[in-house]
Amino acid sequence: MTTKISRREMLKLTAASAVAMSTGLVSSTKIFAAPPGQDTITLRFQENEQYYAEVVEAFKQQFPNVNIEYVTVTGIDHAEVASKILSQLAAGTPVDIGYAATEATQLYAGEGLALPLTQRVLDSKEELAEYFADVSPVLTETMMYEGDLYQLPRDFNAANMYFNTELLAKAGLEMPPAEWTKDDFVEYARAMTGIDGSYGYGWTNRLWGSWTPWFFVNNTNFLVEERAPGGEWMWETFYADDPKAQGRGGGWRWPAPQANNPEMLEALEFVVSLTRDGLTPEVGMGTGETLTGFFTSGKLGMTPAGGFWSGNLYNQGMPKDAFDVQFWPAWKSQRHQLGVGAAWILNGSQHEDEAWEFVKFTTKKEIMEICGLFNPVTLTTPVRRSMNNEERYSVTGPANWQVFYATLDERPDTGPIPAPVFSIEMTDIYTRFTGLAVNGDMTPKEALDGMQAELEALYARQ
Amino acid sequence: MVSQAIQPKRNRITQWLAADTMEGIRRQRALLGYLFIAPSIIGLLIFIIGPMIATFALSFFKWNVFRPPEFINFENFTRLFSDPRVFTAFRNTFLLVIMTVVMLEILALALALSVHRLASRPLSYFFRTSYFLPVLLSGAAVAVTLGYMFHRDFGVINYYLGLLGIPKISWLTDSNVVLWSVSLTTVWRNLGFTFIIYLGGVSSLPTEILEAAQVDGAYGWRRLKSVVLPLLSPTILFATVTDIIKMLQFFDEPFIMTRGGPGDASRTVVMLMYENAFGNLAFGYGSAIALILFAVILLVTGIQFALSRRWVFYS
Amino acid sequence: MATHSSAWSNRLSRTIPRKPGDWVRLLFLFVIAVLTLMPLVWVVSTSLRQPIESFSVPPEWIPVDMDFSNYNEVFERIPFWSQMTNSFIITITVVAGQIVTASLAGYAFARLRFPGRNFLFWMVLATMMIPGQATIIPVFILISRGLGINDTLWALIIPSLSTAFGIFLLRQYFLQIPGDFEEAAMIDGANQWQIFRQIYFPLASPGLAILAVLTFNAKWNDYFTPLVFMNTKDRFPITLGIVDLKGYMATGSISVVLAGIVLSTIPVIIIYIFGQRYLIEGLMMGGIKG
Repeated sequence: MTTKISRREMLKLTAASAVAMSTGLVSSTKIFAAPPGQDTITLRFQENEQYYAEVVEAFKQQFPNVNIEYVTVTGIDHAEVASKILSQLAAGTPVDIGYAATEATQLYAGEGLALPLTQRVLDSKEELAEYFADVSPVLTETMMYEGDLYQLPRDFNAANMYFNTELLAKAGLEMPPAEWTKDDFVEYARAMTGIDGSYGYGWTNRLWGSWTPWFFVNNTNFLVEERAPGGEWMWETFYADDPKAQGRGGGWRWPAPQANNPEMLEALEFVVSLTRDGLTPEVGMGTGETLTGFFTSGKLGMTPAGGFWSGNLYNQGMPKDAFDVQFWPAWKSQRHQLGVGAAWILNGSQHEDEAWEFVKFTTKKEIMEICGLFNPVTLTTPVRRSMNNEERYSVTGPANWQVFYATLDERPDTGPIPAPVFSIEMTDIYTRFTGLAVNGDMTPKEALDGMQAELEALYARQ
Repeated sequence: MVSQAIQPKRNRITQWLAADTMEGIRRQRALLGYLFIAPSIIGLLIFIIGPMIATFALSFFKWNVFRPPEFINFENFTRLFSDPRVFTAFRNTFLLVIMTVVMLEILALALALSVHRLASRPLSYFFRTSYFLPVLLSGAAVAVTLGYMFHRDFGVINYYLGLLGIPKISWLTDSNVVLWSVSLTTVWRNLGFTFIIYLGGVSSLPTEILEAAQVDGAYGWRRLKSVVLPLLSPTILFATVTDIIKMLQFFDEPFIMTRGGPGDASRTVVMLMYENAFGNLAFGYGSAIALILFAVILLVTGIQFALSRRWVFYS
Repeated sequence: MATHSSAWSNRLSRTIPRKPGDWVRLLFLFVIAVLTLMPLVWVVSTSLRQPIESFSVPPEWIPVDMDFSNYNEVFERIPFWSQMTNSFIITITVVAGQIVTASLAGYAFARLRFPGRNFLFWMVLATMMIPGQATIIPVFILISRGLGINDTLWALIIPSLSTAFGIFLLRQYFLQIPGDFEEAAMIDGANQWQIFRQIYFPLASPGLAILAVLTFNAKWNDYFTPLVFMNTKDRFPITLGIVDLKGYMATGSISVVLAGIVLSTIPVIIIYIFGQRYLIEGLMMGGIKG
């Protein structure tokens, strides 16, 4: 029996050391090294210097005692970036100001990492009134979680339909009208397939974009969507005159999975049929640059993308009239899916006040105008309605740039991609079964049943 | 030190380590042994063994970085053994290792024997350099590049196969093919290195024995089987062991080329562990997977060494 | 090695194969060489094309109008030279460190007797089986909170200085060297350190060469560890820089990524060309065994 006791003791010992180690970590997220100088403080900012050099310079003229240190996080998608930030936090080298898109907004908020901004926003009511008046309530609502606002939106991308206009012309077609439908889409795809080895429609397997737009227009989602209560403070203070703010709540909730409902099945069967009919080339696991490569090389007639594509296509040498954009085709609705990105402040940062000043500063119009993400070319769509103007897209295209913001103003039921606190694991389940349906290993029905079963298990573990 | 032998008064330590007695030399060598291994052992303790113990401890917890860890006993292991995805990941890893290592060893050995046999100096230089060039690229760069080339509809590879009349192959999205694509990518990048190791082995074969074998009438396959391979067995063991260990830790190539897809068809154990720990923030569960992988690697290597005693030929 | 004198005439006669089997072998060698080189040529040629032509069919192997703008783009997007310098500093320090630590330990395990030797060697062997990814979280915590060297080049150097694999490899080499040398040296009055440094260390040079190349290769190409440890662009090794070239959320162009890959590989190729004689001959010298 002696061995048994010693084994148990060993287990206890290792357990104790693990607890000690990890509680050290947890508390570490709140502990910061003292600032280097007495007067100067340093904010660690998760951004790329390339895009923020001018903004930071302008900020320093106003706040000479605040120093900004860049924390560069490379990643091919938002999930990879979020993972990296989380491991930074685990190791006790946090950022004061992070950046997160919809994919990670609720993750940071739900885990108590991001600072709720509600009171600070209300305290700066006068200063921020102009900003919110210029930002669609669709975007603001997306950055809320359980009644509180966690981020001031900076950029967004809804999935619209991009067209290669050269292929369009070769197929003898014109750009479709805003109210075009799913059936029109199939005809367009068919007409643009087979011109010099081209395919009518291409997409890549991920959460944003992907086939997500199709079940959005089919009026469903793989998670049940609900509005959290609360948030009146926001709508009453800043959006009292905006009819599109009617009926909004305190952020989105996704309380249960419903991946195998009939509308989901219908949408998946539709995208699978596009592949089967040879209108869509092989659908790979998505990192954007292959899709960009195929599109710029004239291999794809249509593909889902947002405003972020305009500057990037331009940078890759695509002439501004070689592509254009339209709403996503209507099916049961014309509801678009979108993602929004913005800075968040670390809950417990020693410099919460300075961080808030910086975040607020970056929402000013004249400051956003000099940000490297929007100037000289548009690398992602600015959240300010007034910044989506003729001049912004005059060099890069597309001709129909109005669609980007009209998606929010004219289709205000547009909503975020589903991204609860456990969005990273959820995305893995979603893309895994999507891949199995699209390559024919599973029927759409089997894939969605599998997706539903794993999502249920995931919800049960929370 | 030698002159100390004539001094009547020697201090205790030098006496104990005296170089003029067998005992002293033995002690000197033992001391030197500890001194020599100290830097390595300290480094390994701090940066590998210690962290591994921490990983072991973590596997009994549920911990997502933000909330205090919660002791859950063997729950991670119960979940692990009932999770079919874990089984798939292990199966994929084994298949990948076997496919890759078999292709690597056979190809590299065949290339080494052929280059050694017939290449003239400039030709041999050309072959060596071309086989070795991919080794100079990083796994990440290779995966990115071949990922583009393997695309079913727009990739270079299917284009040329098409010219030969071979229908399009879904290299990255067909569950039955994808492991081959990942494996071929890995073979492509690592072939040059294994080849050089074998070339070294082949070149050092004693010419007299080979000639003697020819005099005895052993040619071609027979000579290869009964003379060349046994003589090369230490090289083969070395190359195979290093390759297997490398491949069991497969990560960059499948992670970048397929993200483990389609479904789980190319997911490896290390990927599954990484995704659980860093993606899903299930550090406890991730640690449990890491622990099982460690146990498996240990087992495989043990078996390999045990078997090698039976077939490796040390002249 | 005794065949060196007759090698030249042998080689000469081998230049043109005479038997049909040899022609088959030569064909085999060429086919594999073409397959090995093809992707590399594709990388270079695509990096010289406008991004909008990156997927042209049929593939253009020799770009008609070479476009070097992708290369300019590399320098604009990442601090290429600092990142290359970082990679060199990290890699060379680690290679040197591993050669020192592994040759000492490998020698001790092969040739010196001390209590606990077998146990310690098995511990080293077991360590070799631990995948780096399995321990990354605790190591990261140690690096950043324990040592405070997170986001410095030290973070990528210090944990790599000792190597179980290197010890295993060099022990094998030291085992293969006959023990007679030692007795002879001792008769000549050499001490234990001199025996190691002046006799065994040089004789193990093929093993050291393999270790150096393997370590160089692994460290130079490491993507995973720097991904977790490094935050400041100027301190990145080039592997992270290359991924950075994919641009904001991977909206960049693959031609620029490929240009980055080409640029970052050129120095390694140069090193290989100069070092290959030593490398290959080092490997051939591995023939001195038992």
